[in-house]
Amino acid sequence: MSASATLAALPPGLVWQADRLARPGEAGLPTGFAALDAQLPGGGWPRGALIELLADSPGIGELGLLLPVMRTLAAERWIAWIAPPHLPYAPALAAAGVPLEQLLLLDPANHAESLWTIRQALASGGCRLVLAWLARADTAALRRLQLAAEESGTPLFLFRPAAAALQSSPASLRLRLAAEDGALAIDILKRRGPALVAPIRLSVPDRPGRRRRPPAANPPTLPNSPKPPDTLPLPTSDALVCADPARSAAAGVHARRG
Amino acid sequence: MDDPGALAVVGHLPRAHVVAASPRARALGVEPGSSLAGALAVAPDLQLRDRDPALETATLEEFATWAGQFTPCVSLDPPDAIVLEVSASLRLFDGADALAQRLQQAIPELGLHSALAAAPTPLAARWLARTRPGTLIQPATAWTQALDALPATLLADGGTVTPATLELLHGIGVRRLADAARLPRDGLARRQAGTVADTLARADGETPDPRRWFVPPERFESRLVLPASIAHTEPLLFAARRLFSGLAAWLAARHAALDRCCLVLEHDDQPETRLEIVTGRPGRDEGRLAMLAREHLAALPLPAPVEALRLSSGVPIALPGSTPDLFGDPDSARDSAALLLDRLRARLGPDAVHTVLPVAEHRPERAWRAAAPGTAAIRAADTPGPRPLWLIDEPRALDSIRALTLLAGPERIESGWWDGADVRRDYYVARTPDAALWWVFERLDPPGGWYLHGYFG
Repeated sequence: MSASATLAALPPGLVWQADRLARPGEAGLPTGFAALDAQLPGGGWPRGALIELLADSPGIGELGLLLPVMRTLAAERWIAWIAPPHLPYAPALAAAGVPLEQLLLLDPANHAESLWTIRQALASGGCRLVLAWLARADTAALRRLQLAAEESGTPLFLFRPAAAALQSSPASLRLRLAAEDGALAIDILKRRGPALVAPIRLSVPDRPGRRRRPPAANPPTLPNSPKPPDTLPLPTSDALVCADPARSAAAGVHARRG
Repeated sequence: MDDPGALAVVGHLPRAHVVAASPRARALGVEPGSSLAGALAVAPDLQLRDRDPALETATLEEFATWAGQFTPCVSLDPPDAIVLEVSASLRLFDGADALAQRLQQAIPELGLHSALAAAPTPLAARWLARTRPGTLIQPATAWTQALDALPATLLADGGTVTPATLELLHGIGVRRLADAARLPRDGLARRQAGTVADTLARADGETPDPRRWFVPPERFESRLVLPASIAHTEPLLFAARRLFSGLAAWLAARHAALDRCCLVLEHDDQPETRLEIVTGRPGRDEGRLAMLAREHLAALPLPAPVEALRLSSGVPIALPGSTPDLFGDPDSARDSAALLLDRLRARLGPDAVHTVLPVAEHRPERAWRAAAPGTAAIRAADTPGPRPLWLIDEPRALDSIRALTLLAGPERIESGWWDGADVRRDYYVARTPDAALWWVFERLDPPGGWYLHGYFG
């Protein structure tokens, strides 16, 4: 019997072959993106693991990637956001369907408090997702976080700068995020499985540039701005046309048409 | 106390004598009951404390309050005992043996030593606890025989028998209670010793022995003087645990819960430090309160060493006990979520823990508000245009928007004269060269200037 046939005869899950995705005992949390699920061991976000999301500039759809998993209904447990770099904007979150009553925004005073808060949030078992933003973290701290996440069975999404990709990490899943032409390009730097051939491109929903409406009669033009309009090429194909201002809208809010 | 040393409590009536002695003093030969001079002769370094009847009563009442978790029928039996009427509680606590074991484990945590006995009458229980601690007599036929072998001197303990009568009994050769029980009743009465028969009748249950039930205080207030001033958190917490367990027992006895209590640290010559301990959900779990106190203390620099601790409760909230569930606690997830919230609030401060909710308002910076976590959102009206997931607190002025591609807009947002925050802005969705999406606006009033106000994260 050849080696490969012997391997094939083994019960699934007993031996992990490096050219395949690991099959963890527990199915992951569906990410909401079929293309991403297909590339993740367990078919989704691992349930008890440190997941690093490496991105430099905000606004590339890094939160949009997590909106589907935040939207899923669950028991009364928190979605903790620890030390977010900006203000999570309630109207947009509510419109995206995030249950705001489960949101727990935490502003620890310093780095050490942040690490303490993350560990508490994981260890308590009172959170179903933990999102944390850390500018720096040494390997020992990351290892502790990974262990805390594993023990509690709570996924910890750690947002770190892209430069952290050079640092080795005990995280079981590391994704590098970048924006490409209105889509989110995800490069899986580390997973329990073979390296990714090419970055996955996801079209993140709820992104204004991606929504299309039937062609408008009057494509919007630029207003009188200090910059001459010709320096601002406006790709009409990507343009979003604002809805006509409804008169019932709040006073003073209306879209101006060119 | 770490090392009590050789310590004795001294009473002055009728003569100076040792009331109680610490284990080390007893090892030196100081026995309770011996005269002060005799005690000082065998242990010249003996530290003496005067007996404080008020403190003894307070301790007894505190203990009775604590014992209220086992039965509602607690009575004080001064100077040194309490009586619990447990016949109705035996089923709940799995019988007398299990209850006694539970008491014996819990009492040392209060910093008290105990001798415990159970009998069908309060007086018999007292005598047994005095002479044969650990005896648990079930109400059965002929249980009074167990009292026969006890020394007759017990008649003065808790009874109405005077020392003179006791001397009389000793003189006629009565050593055991059985001997006293055999004496003719009329003969005793003729010798002014009728109280002996009365006391024995009460101990045997032949005549009733009504007791006044102890009523626990309406508010819990307990003070603990520390044996030495403490400047560190850990020993303070250890001492505070005793107060918390008293509080938890008081709550259990009242079937009540608390959502706030106040731990006061008393210093020698500084104003006292107050720790307001607030829990998200009413509860009576001493472990949770102690843990929250720990987080408070960790974040608190002590201005001076602590001399005494005081714990006072707020208004208790009625909360029935929970029935243990065969299939696990369905509330456990909610419980751990509430516990996490309490813990984070205690450590990070209440302001650092919140959620955000939309507000019906057209100006973006006012269209949200911070709220206590768990507050349900009121369905907000749909916004007329796209809104970013990240908002920047202070709009950031952009030098140039040359590099940006405007994808959508404009959306005019203006006015706000009524509260002095008038705005007139045209909002756009803009794409940066690295394909991030920004929410930018052009200020119209006064005209000119582009600002970044959010990121479509």
